[in-house]
Amino acid sequence: MQTPIIVTEFRAGLSDGKLLVQLCKDCGKPNMWPRYACPHCQSENLDWQHSGGVGTLHSFCVLRQGAPEGFEEDLPYAIGVVKLDEGVQLAVRLVPSAPDDWSEYQCDDRVEFVPVSADQIEKRPCATFKRIAD
Amino acid sequence: MSEKWTLNVGPGTDNDPVFVGVGEIPTGKFPDRGFIQGLTKVAILALKDAGMVPRDIDTILLIPNLHSAADQADLIFSRMVEELGIHGTCKSSMMVHSGGSTSDNAVRTAHGLIAAGHAQNVLVLHCERWGSADLQEMITMLSKNGIPGEWELPTGIQFNAIGAMITRRYMHASGSTAEEMASVCVTLRNWANLNENAMFYTKPLTVEQILASRMVADPLHSYECPPMADGACAFVMTNTGNAKKRGISNSVRVAGSGGCVSHYCLSQEADQAVLGWPLAAERAWNQSGWGPEDADIAEIYDSYAAVTAIALEGIGIAAKGEGARWFAAGHGDPGGKLPMNTNGGLLSAGHTGVGGGTALLVEGIRQLLHRAPSKRQVEDCQRAIIGGSGGSYMDAQILLLERTKLGA
Repeated sequence: MQTPIIVTEFRAGLSDGKLLVQLCKDCGKPNMWPRYACPHCQSENLDWQHSGGVGTLHSFCVLRQGAPEGFEEDLPYAIGVVKLDEGVQLAVRLVPSAPDDWSEYQCDDRVEFVPVSADQIEKRPCATFKRIAD
Repeated sequence: MSEKWTLNVGPGTDNDPVFVGVGEIPTGKFPDRGFIQGLTKVAILALKDAGMVPRDIDTILLIPNLHSAADQADLIFSRMVEELGIHGTCKSSMMVHSGGSTSDNAVRTAHGLIAAGHAQNVLVLHCERWGSADLQEMITMLSKNGIPGEWELPTGIQFNAIGAMITRRYMHASGSTAEEMASVCVTLRNWANLNENAMFYTKPLTVEQILASRMVADPLHSYECPPMADGACAFVMTNTGNAKKRGISNSVRVAGSGGCVSHYCLSQEADQAVLGWPLAAERAWNQSGWGPEDADIAEIYDSYAAVTAIALEGIGIAAKGEGARWFAAGHGDPGGKLPMNTNGGLLSAGHTGVGGGTALLVEGIRQLLHRAPSKRQVEDCQRAIIGGSGGSYMDAQILLLERTKLGA
């Protein structure tokens, strides 16, 4: 099956160093993950807006073993759930503060989007965030 | 939610659905025990326990295995009807599936079929071979269940990562310590030590051992992650009129249920330290007229300590933020004020995939039928809270079960 356009456009944004959030052109609400119809008003008149890329870290973990197939070489890696200031949420990778060290991170930390290379997005098409220094 | 949502059946009425039998075989690693063999064994055990034979069964509900799609297809396409020799007479055979909460939804399905008259005698079956399956294959498979492939899979998320995020958020919100989280696992192990069918029967566990085990997904240590196991269990439901005709004097009925599907993928959950439990509980109390203080036991999904601690708080058994400390105080232990997960739960009896919740349900029915081995039978057990959750803890499901005397 061809990759759906809402997926390719979101990923193209990441490759360009931008975090896109779906915007409903009828009710004006942001949606994340992007949907085929707006879950608030069922409109299919949907577009993108650039996220400010800043939010709060709801929770995170550091996976040290038991990676899914194809992710073994990434270990250890940290995954988090970010609540963006726009009011939507997403799962992200977190940048370590020092090599393989995420000990500075805490729940409810303020975090920001980090653009990464198009090659990296090709391999791991997800957003990366880091802690905003105190 | 203010509208009262009543059950259309009452205790003692002929169409009130009741549980009349359970069956189970040991949970652990049994590579030589076949999948269909396990299902057949528990079917026969549950039927015997119910005083029935296979031809009494008109409807089979299958709780899916996850170790093999081909084996799951065998269930979908009615293999057990033939294995039990009821082809040609069985009315309906089908699968019910909502991951870890399947057992709760299978009960609702059977309950509705029986109450409406579509079914008389329903056999619900489960078998899983996770303990004997290829571990890497299961990890990869579990990184696709309850996880959107296009949005979250690229992060490398999998089941322990989901459990770890919920645990971290819960510890942050409640101020629970690593020792308090580990104490949940110790309570479960204390129960498993009374259950000969448990994977970790006669293998005591301490908080110190847990905290010394290797870190798998911060903040989860390996002894806080569910052990994948082979296992099988079954139960039989019928209607009250039929149970009376068969001379059954004690059974278990559904006093009410409540549920809430709070998300599909974890990143969309509003509060990982709360999940869907408060609304599920409100609905269950509303339907049954019970409160959390009315139960004699609780059997609540426990793939990770935090999952159960969060459920306890949402249900109102423990105060907000006090779920893990409730366990640390020994309240859920054998002899505690509310015996919890009296088979040892998923963490100590063994995680049999979709069947972990089924095993807890079967244990709850067994306790209410007063058929648990004497060393773990809770005295005068009359009411049980059963709790389940599926996928990335997408839902919170509550069944309230009560022992009911039939006839004279």
